[in-house]
Amino acid sequence: MLREITLGQYYPAESVLHSLDPRVKLFSTLVFIITLFSANNAVLFAVVLVTLVGIIKLSHVPFSFMVKGLRSIVILLIIAGLFNLFLTPGRTLASFWIFSISDVGLKNAVLMTSRMIILIIGTSIMTLTTTPNQLTDGLEKSLGFLKKVGVPVHEISMMMSIALRFIPILIEETDKIMKAQMARGADFESGGLIKKAKNMVPLLVPLFVSAFRRANDLSYAMEARCYNGGEGRTKMRPLKYSSLDQRAYICIVTYIIVFYAVKVIL
Amino acid sequence: MSIIKSKELVHEYIRRDEEGNVESIQTALDHVNLNVEAGQFISILGHNGSGKSTFAKHINALLTPSEGTIWVDGMSTSDDEYTFAVRQTAGMVFQNPDNQIIASVVDEDVAFGPENIGVPTDEILERVERSLKMVGMYKYKNHSPNKLSGGQKQRVAIAGVMAMEPKCIILDEPTAMLDPDGRADVLRAVHTLNREKGITVILITHYMEEVVDSDYVFVMEKGKVFMEGTPREIFKDVKTLKEHSLDVPQVTLLADELRNAGLPIAECILTRKELIGELSKLNLKRISAQTGGMGGSFDKTNAKSADSKENVLILDHASYKYSPGTAYEVTALDDVSLTIKEGEFIGIIGHTGSGKSTLVQHLNGLIKATDGHIYYRGQDIYDKDYDIKELRTQVGMVFQYPEHQLFETTVFKDVQFGPKNQGLNEKEQIKRAYEALNLVKLPDEFYLASPFELSGGQKRRAAIAGVIAMKPAVLILDEPTAGLDPKGRDDILGLITDMHEKRGDTVILVSHSMEDVANYVDRIIVMDAGRPAFDGTPKEVFAHYKELEKMGLAAPQVTYVMNDLRDAGYDVDASATTVAEAKESIVNALMN
Repeated sequence: MLREITLGQYYPAESVLHSLDPRVKLFSTLVFIITLFSANNAVLFAVVLVTLVGIIKLSHVPFSFMVKGLRSIVILLIIAGLFNLFLTPGRTLASFWIFSISDVGLKNAVLMTSRMIILIIGTSIMTLTTTPNQLTDGLEKSLGFLKKVGVPVHEISMMMSIALRFIPILIEETDKIMKAQMARGADFESGGLIKKAKNMVPLLVPLFVSAFRRANDLSYAMEARCYNGGEGRTKMRPLKYSSLDQRAYICIVTYIIVFYAVKVIL
Repeated sequence: MSIIKSKELVHEYIRRDEEGNVESIQTALDHVNLNVEAGQFISILGHNGSGKSTFAKHINALLTPSEGTIWVDGMSTSDDEYTFAVRQTAGMVFQNPDNQIIASVVDEDVAFGPENIGVPTDEILERVERSLKMVGMYKYKNHSPNKLSGGQKQRVAIAGVMAMEPKCIILDEPTAMLDPDGRADVLRAVHTLNREKGITVILITHYMEEVVDSDYVFVMEKGKVFMEGTPREIFKDVKTLKEHSLDVPQVTLLADELRNAGLPIAECILTRKELIGELSKLNLKRISAQTGGMGGSFDKTNAKSADSKENVLILDHASYKYSPGTAYEVTALDDVSLTIKEGEFIGIIGHTGSGKSTLVQHLNGLIKATDGHIYYRGQDIYDKDYDIKELRTQVGMVFQYPEHQLFETTVFKDVQFGPKNQGLNEKEQIKRAYEALNLVKLPDEFYLASPFELSGGQKRRAAIAGVIAMKPAVLILDEPTAGLDPKGRDDILGLITDMHEKRGDTVILVSHSMEDVANYVDRIIVMDAGRPAFDGTPKEVFAHYKELEKMGLAAPQVTYVMNDLRDAGYDVDASATTVAEAKESIVNALMN
């Protein structure tokens, strides 16, 4: 039942985007989000949209796979859209019963929902083309400057990658313990909220115990392999910019210039 | 040259209360003196709690001595200066394959060690490739560890240690959680390292067959080395080993039994070949035209006529697919029809992924078949108004590592959990819990202890009691002996047999230990690729030992011995599956 949850939605394929340095992808995603939210007219919006379509084509990830990620937030989108549609004051276009739709409301609703959709697809391209490990590596390197002010960047990224490694194992374990307790007559489905929460105890206690046991084992295993924090560590695949990454940066800068030029002109 | 040397090594686990006062001291290692020469293959045997894992952690400087000294390649582990050098010299592989892999991709995990010790990038790549090739896992270098089998994960862990280029590798029960196939692969890899690279290997294990090929063996008990010598010297003394409830390989046991029966057989036989050699010196009856090879076929003495018994569970063309309709579709059960009768003791065997766990989870409705029907006492359990909760109390299920499901504050309350869910009153709940705990022979001083304070074997018994307390008519146990030492294993299997024999419970035992299954059950179902490949008495099934091998299974060692004898033309019963049967058949075949 829990098997269907997929995490760290990496889609293995051969493409330009897959072979880019994760730092480039992190930076470009940031640029993309900023431009998306500063696009306040149709032309700018079209620039963003065309760029997105181009990136989708480059990624070699099937479009249907990206849309799948939207499914889980459809309800959120609808609710947000409806709120904007009905609750924004302005010139009334249509009204029935206690609801009325204003021109500003309609514009906001359309803009909001399409922005959200583009945002999600845009960011999901990054996670679809970057393995979780590359992502944490990229973050560690990009945020390296924070080390100087005492932020334990290496430790945080190590914790993130260990978490990514153990999530599937813990999901499987949850499934197993749930079945074992169900075989002893436990009921995880019926009853009110409080009863349901209470019924979770036979699941959560063993799960925590097991997580601690695993953490203990893992700490021994890491120590045994000479782990001693980030100092003096080397990397098998250190992040190095290639000529492809340089070209990507040029594209990003060109995109920024074009976008803001259009914004200033119009 | 000695690579590991310990002198009067003592380790104490000290428990302190909140104020820091000493609450209790447990001596795990008690003046251990031990010496390992470089390049040797060493085995350390012993029960759970004998101190062997504690000793392993000392070699790696994960623990440091309370008293005495241990030197690794001349470096004292008590000296902080040497900690990392020691860990690099003596690498360590742990028991649980999942809990020692750090990265989400195989090659990145192997690189973890070299990265930590600051090996330059180019060299890391070389080392990773070399180490993965050594253990035969190079083609999986881009895989996620979650997609690998237990044996493959352990080999990745070994590669991870080898990438640090140690002189010595310590393996702490590396095969305890693996199936026979995985065990063989891991051992092969370790032996290759020892032979070809000259790496000193220290293997800690419960499995006696794994010890046979080592150069030297230490047996530990209560924190002390109580026996040491070559495998031959150790296994010579079958009586002492048995007194300390340590296992002996079946071949050695059979040789010993025959010698005790007065046959002139040399001491300390370790392999099949040696035993056959010894036996062919004897004057055994040859297969003749008259006997026509039927010699001494004795039917299973306690074969109950199950025909008259009522059918408890019927599977009618049941199939199960994981993620049907997607690219990940896997057929776990493929059109299975089976009948299980009242009072049967059934063993289900099959390698990992053969569908045996999926099959048993159907029997109490935890998994719903995608096709077909299942009937419990004549009723279809998929009927709309069928009470599935009631079925689960009728068909009790003990999962693999059942101790992981303990959660209550006391053992007693935990056992009460099942009866409570059944809706029984308090008095009945308590009665049931008492009965169940009594049945699993858990000493009553533990009833009010926290389940987390118990030892491994005790925890398992408490967890089994939690299922028995529901008084199921059918009891299913999925690998109930996994990870236990020989004594714990015999205790649990004895308990299950008692329940079957004294209470007449229907018992289904899922296992990959052929010896266990052959010794205890009346009927074996062999699963392969989601289907029952064989179904019959142990004799009938193990007669197909050649086909079983193709499925990654094997018959008990004695069956091989008897078949070898028969192939050599001796008139013995090739269908013997236990040591006692084999002995009887050989003695009968003796011409005097």
